[in-house]
Amino acid sequence: MHKAWIILSKEWRELLTERSLILSTLLPPLLLALMPVIITFAVGQSPDDDISELGGALADPALAGLSTLELGQAVIGRQFGLLLLLTPLIVPSVIASYSIVGEKTRRTLEPLLAAPIHSWELLLGKSLVALIPAVAITWVGAAIFVGGMALVAVSPQVLAAIVSPGWLLALILCTPSLALIMIAACVAISSRVNDPRTAQQVSAVAVVPLLGLFFGQLVGVIVLSPAFALGMAVILGVIAALSVWGATGLFQRETILTRWG
Amino acid sequence: MTNALETRGLTRTFGTRVAVEDLTLSIPAGSVFGFLGPNGAGKTTTVRMLAALIAPTAGTATVAGYQLGAQDHAIRRSVGILTENPGLYDRLSARQNLLFFGRLYDLDAATAEAQAERYLRLLDLWDRRDDPVGGFSKGMRQKLAIARALLHEPQVVFLDEPSAGLDPEAARTVREFIKSLRSAGRTIFLTTHNLPEADELCDLIGVFRTRLLRVDTPRNLRAGLFGRGTLVRLAQSPERWLEPIRRLPFVRAAELRQGGIAVTLDDPDAQNPLLVQALVSAGAGVRYVEPLDHSLEDVYLELVRSDSGERPPDAATG
Repeated sequence: MHKAWIILSKEWRELLTERSLILSTLLPPLLLALMPVIITFAVGQSPDDDISELGGALADPALAGLSTLELGQAVIGRQFGLLLLLTPLIVPSVIASYSIVGEKTRRTLEPLLAAPIHSWELLLGKSLVALIPAVAITWVGAAIFVGGMALVAVSPQVLAAIVSPGWLLALILCTPSLALIMIAACVAISSRVNDPRTAQQVSAVAVVPLLGLFFGQLVGVIVLSPAFALGMAVILGVIAALSVWGATGLFQRETILTRWG
Repeated sequence: MTNALETRGLTRTFGTRVAVEDLTLSIPAGSVFGFLGPNGAGKTTTVRMLAALIAPTAGTATVAGYQLGAQDHAIRRSVGILTENPGLYDRLSARQNLLFFGRLYDLDAATAEAQAERYLRLLDLWDRRDDPVGGFSKGMRQKLAIARALLHEPQVVFLDEPSAGLDPEAARTVREFIKSLRSAGRTIFLTTHNLPEADELCDLIGVFRTRLLRVDTPRNLRAGLFGRGTLVRLAQSPERWLEPIRRLPFVRAAELRQGGIAVTLDDPDAQNPLLVQALVSAGAGVRYVEPLDHSLEDVYLELVRSDSGERPPDAATG
């Protein structure tokens, strides 16, 4: 286990010298947290009387009884709140896709694999490098989002509708699983390709199911209740476990060195 | 003397392509073994198998007393490897690179620090210890990679082209360092195309092209392949005496070389007086008689060409 920490500390030491990587990792989550606050604030400043455009979103009973102004803010805030779940997919996609391919392109993989380190220790270290910042940045981004919404919401009811128990549960419980799924996908892909860009591009596919959730809520097919969030967390947990198991199985030292090295 | 490395019928195939075929080899502990062969001969595959990086398709091997396949983790802990490319983390300093690998090789933090300092000083890198490796010259990177391979004091060290691309001074430093390792009792498996270097450093040489063509000491390789030679310089034109020398019963071969006649003999110590006597009796003016040594390059080229079915132009005496 301690070798995973050795890998982890080395990777972080390296990452801290990559300013552009840090910027590209931090900027999207920051935008995802701040943009909704700005847009929700703008909506609160210029209410639209015609709320029929909100369509299916109004199917959620939590929105019942809100004024037109409150409804506008609540719907916008809730939709953008879901997008915060993209953060645990975005952050690791940059870091983890370099995890193996980066070692290959820098020709550091062979000395590393020659060391007395088990594959699971290597993968654990590499995964934690991406998992810890992914979860931390998502939760910090969520805190910024909640704080900002508290400032710009026109009423406590709007804030309660945006920062709902279902949303909070989804954010807390699903973030680690989402990050793990993305990391496992990146590790699996990285151990099979020689180009980090390929790994990143293929990893982007993992974002698609989350967009389904976004549009499902938008058209009223999905209501993010606590029960739904719990169910989603369980399913994602199972998928994450399977993904990690699959990625570990795909990570064959010999194949990486001989077929893809 | 115990063997640090033994293989029996070690074979590796990739699909239908045979990379290493039936390699049987014993390398005594504390010796330097030179592993020579053309590009694509399977040398890297062999080293990767012996370092427990890839598995053999067939055969067995014992490395540093551990069984390949069953004790791979122990093998990795007991060997050091300098890969063809140094493979260093450019954004980390020299010291950070060594500390990282030291910890991976189970050294505690204090020992890793001490070993890193020891090797950085030994290889003249101490003054640059905190500089990012990305700014290092090729020679410095190579020296750092050698330090990394030795940090955990492995019993067996695999060095792949340790002096390739280095300037003469750096190459000499590396050679001297390898000699000091041998003096310290390490077993070194040296893969190189630098034949004079192999000749200088190695106790045993193996010439390899998918299979082991020959293995022996450099001296025995020369003697076994070409016999031993004597260069005779005469007062008269050497062309005149070439055929008479060839007709002498104890002469294996003779050819014109370096303004004299290169004579291949089985036992020059005993046969040189006979040779000189025969020449003088026949009226030749013998100016000098000196030992003629075939280079390791001659040996290597002869073996590789023979394996290709190609007859070397000067096969008689090399």
